[in-house]
Amino acid sequence: MATTSFLSPTQRYGAGALFALALHQAQMHQTRPLGMLDPDGEDDGPGEERPSSGSSSDSVSEDPDLWVHENSGLLLPVFRFLDIDKVAWLGLEETAGSSPAKHHVGAFLRLLAEDTSVNSSESSDQQLALSKAIDSLTLSMETNPASSKSKKEKHQEYENECREKLSTNEAKVNSEATVTMPETSSTSNIESPSPDLTCAFEEEPVEEVKMLSYERKLAVLYELLTACLADIRDNDKKSARRRKGYDARHRVALRLLATWLDINWVKMEAIEMMVACSAMAVAKEKEKEEESQSPKSSWAKWKRGGIIGAAALTGGALLAITGGLAAPAIAAGLSALAPTLGTLIPVIGASGFAAVASAAGTVAGSVAVAASFGAAGAGLTGTKMARRIGSVDEFEFKAIGENQNQGRLAVEILVSGFVFDEEDFVRPWEGQSDNLERYAIQWESKNLISVSTAIQDWLTSRIAMELMKQGAMMTVLSTLLTALAWPAALLAATDFIDSKWTIALDRSEKAGKLLAEVLRKGLHGNRPVTLIGFSLGARVIFKCLEVLAETEHTAEFVERVVLLGAPISIQDENWKAARKMVAGRFVNAYSTNDWTLGFAFRASMFSKGLAGIQPADFPGIENVNVTELIEGHSSYLWATHDILDRLELDTYYPTFRIPPPRNSENSSSKKSP
Amino acid sequence: MEASSSQQDFDYLLKLLLIGDSGVGKSSLLLSFTSDAFEDLSPTIGVDFKIKHVTVNGKKLKLAIWDTAGQERFRTLTSSYYRGAQGIIMVYDVTRRETFTNLSEIWAREIDLYSTNPDCIKMLVGNKVDKESDRAVSKKEGIDFARQYGCLFLECSAKTRVNVEQCFEELILKILETPSLLAEGSIGVKRNIFKQAPPESSATSSCC
Repeated sequence: MATTSFLSPTQRYGAGALFALALHQAQMHQTRPLGMLDPDGEDDGPGEERPSSGSSSDSVSEDPDLWVHENSGLLLPVFRFLDIDKVAWLGLEETAGSSPAKHHVGAFLRLLAEDTSVNSSESSDQQLALSKAIDSLTLSMETNPASSKSKKEKHQEYENECREKLSTNEAKVNSEATVTMPETSSTSNIESPSPDLTCAFEEEPVEEVKMLSYERKLAVLYELLTACLADIRDNDKKSARRRKGYDARHRVALRLLATWLDINWVKMEAIEMMVACSAMAVAKEKEKEEESQSPKSSWAKWKRGGIIGAAALTGGALLAITGGLAAPAIAAGLSALAPTLGTLIPVIGASGFAAVASAAGTVAGSVAVAASFGAAGAGLTGTKMARRIGSVDEFEFKAIGENQNQGRLAVEILVSGFVFDEEDFVRPWEGQSDNLERYAIQWESKNLISVSTAIQDWLTSRIAMELMKQGAMMTVLSTLLTALAWPAALLAATDFIDSKWTIALDRSEKAGKLLAEVLRKGLHGNRPVTLIGFSLGARVIFKCLEVLAETEHTAEFVERVVLLGAPISIQDENWKAARKMVAGRFVNAYSTNDWTLGFAFRASMFSKGLAGIQPADFPGIENVNVTELIEGHSSYLWATHDILDRLELDTYYPTFRIPPPRNSENSSSKKSP
Repeated sequence: MEASSSQQDFDYLLKLLLIGDSGVGKSSLLLSFTSDAFEDLSPTIGVDFKIKHVTVNGKKLKLAIWDTAGQERFRTLTSSYYRGAQGIIMVYDVTRRETFTNLSEIWAREIDLYSTNPDCIKMLVGNKVDKESDRAVSKKEGIDFARQYGCLFLECSAKTRVNVEQCFEELILKILETPSLLAEGSIGVKRNIFKQAPPESSATSSCC
């Protein structure tokens, strides 16, 4: 199987080492994101220590919570696939886990660049072919400007509709409030480190990167991804990783590695699609063989895979078989490269997988990969049948965009939480251009619409307007504090809202449980998931993470999380446990003048804190102040789009493009204590 | 190999590094030391790593020993492993003269270039003395080199285990005599670091 590789054994060793380093760094960045380390960033400082699980152990083998530890089942299968000699594994594990990565990355990159020992001309031809294929697939993936323009227009339209619908003076009041809140808006610079603040080393490509050819970098990433997915493991190992598929932690490590290699992430997405396709091709073959032999057993396997309904089952099975290959977009992208691909897919795809599968003595590896991708579409959309499980009235996945069943290897699940109409579950998320397979959750629309409307009505009532005008000189927090002396008439009206709000909170928790269940059952196809939600939707996500934390120990499913205007208490909830469930970035976007949240959550806000209006200071949480972009809670319906753009989620390190100050007075007046 | 996994407690953690040409017996030396075994080993790929707990002078020590590949193509890798090493063992093959001459031409230079610790203890080891008849480097030459370069010296055989224990013991004793080395790499320092950020580490352990 070594002959099917693009890389020489030494290069594969180097690639495996770099992956191990990236994997370990990624785990460290979970609690200490890049650029949030101590500014000097000098070596051997506390920031460079391994993320200890409490024991001050000094070698990887003693700390089973490490991602690079053999128990995690993340690293060794990759080494095995790369055909790295077993005797070298321990050294690599320790290298990754023991010392600051920056000292090793350069050395291993040089190793990758320098080694030209074996079949150099042949393999460099292959590398060239591969990189060409990736480039043209990338091109075909990039949306043409015309369609993105129309998407923008559509989104603008939606924003206007929303504003009309909610036409209130809330906006005006709040923009006044912003002007007088310099103390909060000026801190945004600190809370969201600008790119130039982030650690110089990891962001700037290491010097050695220049020695590596573009083709070889892509070949390295391609092989590593294949290794991540092939998932061959020793049966006798006590691996804590029970599921097959694309682990979120792998994807985060690859993202860091791509950053090191100075490779644009979209190339990596193209690679993902190519690997998915070749995996599907192999699986298709296998499926045919198996079906002719024992149709029953293969059906039993599908059934075990999905718990939901018969609809999901049949859909899933069919999709897994015809899967990504049938998708027109891929077909178009790939057929353009037919000459190169004809040689390519056999070289690394089909025979690579086949060789590995037979070497492992089982076809499970490759079949599991395909099953996990293809079943997703039907798995998620079929989930509405399962809503009764969680005593939630409504819980349904809606496909967004055109990326479904095209062999995308990452999923995005989007949750609205402040809605006035059923379409508000879907439309805030439309038009976002990324290469994920995207789904929105429509949940509890009756309850959500009623609580959202009630709050909005209250906010626009005359008496509340008066109050807010009085309070306009202060932040939400301080206003509500003084408002303990609120008029009785006003307070009476709130009972009505409070009861609705309580129901909605309760439902969001149940929906979160259901979402966790979906992920745990692998209905999303065991692919890395990005979860984004605003308002009560953010709470659904947070609850989902908390529920996951009860049974899972690491971030196997969830790659990234963005919470916007989240009605989540800061002190009452287990943020650290939730953080642990997320392999990559975890963003909390808050707005200091979010009246709706402040009002709805007023009961416990002063003592417990509230994530939607203030930073949640926990290690590894990226707090982003979006006050400038948000006029009120309902703004999240249309401003989320912009916020997500600014977050540049495809970037490995924390980043947020700070909006230009809305008013020049903003920075002039300073708050006196 | 890790017979002492129960030994959680130790006074110092020492990082040792083995360097030298390909085939001089670095890995064999290490294997002989850690598991009392000798076997024909294939060339090391990149780096290998072994842990051994020993007690020297009443001090419990945990040795983290890095065994580097001698092959030219991996030379670029080893440079990053010098960092923080308290002891470096330079190994040559007494039956192959070029492995000895390469010490001054390559390996001593590498140490000067990459070692971050000016006080780090160096040790010269001539391996394979069991092949006395094939000897190409005399003991006198070894002693002279060691004196000139300011390092400890021993001849040993990984195969017969002659002087293997002594190699490591002498190196360790010398390290223990050098306070600056102990201050830097000892576990005491590490513990301090964890004390600086106790809420984090304790919380991660409590929530899992």
